[in-house]
Amino acid sequence: MIEMADTIERRNIKNEYILEVRNFNAYYGEKLAVRDANVKIEKNKITAIMGPSGCGKSTLLRSMNRINDLLSEFKVQGEILFHDKNIYDPEIDVYILRRRIGMVFQKPTPFPMSIFENIAYGLRLIGITDKKELRDRVKQALEMAALWDEVKDDLEKSALKLSGGQQQRLCIARTIAIEPEVILFDEPTSALDPVATQKIESLIEDLSEKFTIVIVTHNIGQASRISDYTVFMYRGEIVEQGPTSKLLTNPQNEITQQFLSGKIG
Amino acid sequence: MTITKTNGSKTVENKKARIALKILTYFISILIVFVFILAFLPGLKYWSWEFFSSFPEDQMTGGGIFPAILGSILLTAVSLVIAIPLGIFLGIVLSEYNLSYIKFAVTILSGIPSVVFGLFGLGLFCITMNMRTSILAGGLTLSLMVLPVISSSVYEVMRSIPRELREAAYALGARKSEVIFDMLVPSVRNSIITVSFVSAGRVIGETAPLILTAAVFYATNLPKNLLSPVMTLPTHIYFLAAAYGTKARWMAEGAASVLILFVILVYTIAFMFRREKK
Repeated sequence: MIEMADTIERRNIKNEYILEVRNFNAYYGEKLAVRDANVKIEKNKITAIMGPSGCGKSTLLRSMNRINDLLSEFKVQGEILFHDKNIYDPEIDVYILRRRIGMVFQKPTPFPMSIFENIAYGLRLIGITDKKELRDRVKQALEMAALWDEVKDDLEKSALKLSGGQQQRLCIARTIAIEPEVILFDEPTSALDPVATQKIESLIEDLSEKFTIVIVTHNIGQASRISDYTVFMYRGEIVEQGPTSKLLTNPQNEITQQFLSGKIG
Repeated sequence: MTITKTNGSKTVENKKARIALKILTYFISILIVFVFILAFLPGLKYWSWEFFSSFPEDQMTGGGIFPAILGSILLTAVSLVIAIPLGIFLGIVLSEYNLSYIKFAVTILSGIPSVVFGLFGLGLFCITMNMRTSILAGGLTLSLMVLPVISSSVYEVMRSIPRELREAAYALGARKSEVIFDMLVPSVRNSIITVSFVSAGRVIGETAPLILTAAVFYATNLPKNLLSPVMTLPTHIYFLAAAYGTKARWMAEGAASVLILFVILVYTIAFMFRREKK
């Protein structure tokens, strides 16, 4: 992966698809959670994966940075290509992969340390130790996550004392601080109130200028507000995918129509 | 919503359950108070400077228990210096790496009676390794005995860390060792210290393994080094009760209350760490 990072010049990537899921199956033990998924994720766009609970959308997302490898029963078949290289290839360094494909979780998960350290931790992992650079990068990340003005005087305060919405923005700041190419959001607003949700949504839209974003949501409104493309999943399979405006207003598949009209969900 | 759903009979059931639990709590509290009154208070009247500072005299009818106190402190110190770091390390490794066979073995070991550990220590340390009856042999035996207990408790603490914290650290690209030592262990540091001390509290009162590996009936001298035998509080109480009869009863009572004081001290230290966390 280190070699890969060197050889690929980010600006000159010809392929506009940064991630490509190909004939992908995922299992928890014997249970099939994702069946024969094929998706292309376009660079600097927001792709929403939508569907009712248990449809496999989180599993698909959590396969993209191999965070599901932590679950002992989890198995996959097929490929997920990141810059045309299969991330499940044995020679991939999964830790470096996760630095380039960041993730924000459903529940805000600040580390039990100060606000500053929450962001500095990831920066130190990628080898930044210079104090001034750390301070600058922390500030920059907090500004990008629209949190700087609220916390600039309390950087040494425990991150656990922030509100839920602030914690989630801190988690976003922590993720963007190490400058990944892709950010995976796993229902990032489902634990938040409407005001905090609205802030996170507009933040995600802003972030898409710099990052490629994949967001899992069961909320049709959220998908329509922020996403460029939508993938609709049902019972482990991708039922329909396409530009969000088209998929939401003119769904071709009957199950998609039922979901959008609230008959299933 | 939930209020309207609660029907009358459930409330009554709740009330009954609460009363039952309350009665049980009082019952257990009274038991503890009884133990305290019967085992701790009778010995208190023998506490004096002489009792703490001198050797037993006149067939255990006079003097004090200084060598037993010293022996217990030394043995506890030796065993904890060995067992706590190893136990914490083992508990962390067992929780973070998939070593189910070793975990199973550790669980079984923590249930083995202490006298069996005593026999094992007698064979391995005292005889085979030629340590004879000594502080070192006893300390090693005690640390072996308490090691699985400490590591099982630490294992449980590590497992209680929410999955989200692990995943969040891995999602930043942290390696396994970084996740464990930068994130997981610091987040439960005080709990680990508390459970280690609580598990280690067992060591202070252990009798059987010490009779076999470290303790003597009566020592005329203080221990010179770690290879010397010692008197200890629990073995002293046992010998007094078993061999000296009513003449020495006072000394057993006094020693028992000192032993209880030690246990209270260790547990107080342990729980101070837990309180600090909050």
